Amino acid sequence: MKNNYLKHTLISIFLLLNLTNISIAASNDIQISIKNGRFSPSEIDIPADTKVKLTVENLDDTPEEFESYDLNREVLIKAKSKASFYIGPLSPGVYKFEGEFSPETAQGVVRVK
Amino acid sequence: MMMRNNLMQGLCCLALLSASALVHAGEYLSGPADYIYTPRVEEGEREIDTKFGTQTPRSGEDNRLSGASIGFGYGVNSWWFTEIYGKVTWDGTNSQFDAVEWENKFQLTETGKYPVDIGFLLELERPQNRNEGYEAKYGFLFQSEWKKWVANLNVLMQGHYTGTENQGTYFGYQGQVKYRLQPELELGAQIYSWLGQVNNWNTNEQQQSSAGPAIFGKTKLGRKEALKYNVAYLWGTTTASPKNTIRMQVEYEF
Repeated sequence: MKNNYLKHTLISIFLLLNLTNISIAASNDIQISIKNGRFSPSEIDIPADTKVKLTVENLDDTPEEFESYDLNREVLIKAKSKASFYIGPLSPGVYKFEGEFSPETAQGVVRVK
Repeated sequence: MMMRNNLMQGLCCLALLSASALVHAGEYLSGPADYIYTPRVEEGEREIDTKFGTQTPRSGEDNRLSGASIGFGYGVNSWWFTEIYGKVTWDGTNSQFDAVEWENKFQLTETGKYPVDIGFLLELERPQNRNEGYEAKYGFLFQSEWKKWVANLNVLMQGHYTGTENQGTYFGYQGQVKYRLQPELELGAQIYSWLGQVNNWNTNEQQQSSAGPAIFGKTKLGRKEALKYNVAYLWGTTTASPKNTIRMQVEYEF
């Protein structure tokens, strides 16, 4: 009985998270570039409860990693190339991100309104 | 996506073809150093991966069984992560080199594009006990997130082939729920469960299932270096399961 209870609880949580995502998903595209170790734009505004596709283009000669604990994303962008991934749906707030290889200059935020 | 779809189809065929000849592992299908697989792959990531675990058997007459492994993993591209590692086990009186294992993880969907990220696992093991032949573990990996919550559910099959011991292909699942409190400390729970042979599920009490609380975290050591960990204390929830298991994983990423 204990085994069944645990199984059902974990599977229910997993399905609940999926249903929540399905109900509020949509799609927008946002482009970001990295040049001289800086994001441009470094501040992005997106609507709440909306799924957004981020395409990050690295114009530098060295690789960079888009990293954000707030957004739960870590994505490598090779030199002179692009990488795309999705974020959200998110609640209103400010979500920081940075370039892991040049964190002193590569800083940015996603503002969710 | 087309390439990923083709890859997925190929892997499914491989898995189905090999399933008919598979035979099974030791007394407990979840080893003391097992861990929860996640579907996401990070290109270029290199890691030294160490795992450790110890199980208290249900029967007081049996020795505690412990295991550890060390491996090197690499994110070959945005959809393929591969890792090779060696495993040792000991039971209080004897220790032995247990196996060499080659793990391959394929991310089949773009990160965050769908409500569920999906991956495929194909793990091949060469046990030191040659009578066990080769071991294969394979299955689909699912991950979903909502605000600060992340949930994983993996549906797996495991068995041995070309050996002479332990017939059968086993079906099971593992799951994890995690609350992302802060990078260094996240709280959650894990479950590891084997339901029985694919064509002959066990009764609830004969299934092997362990569940309990877990903590997770990551701390940066430098610009491209980080240490990740997760630790769990699991109670066996059936009479066929170990009484309890303590397991941990520490990864050095660089």
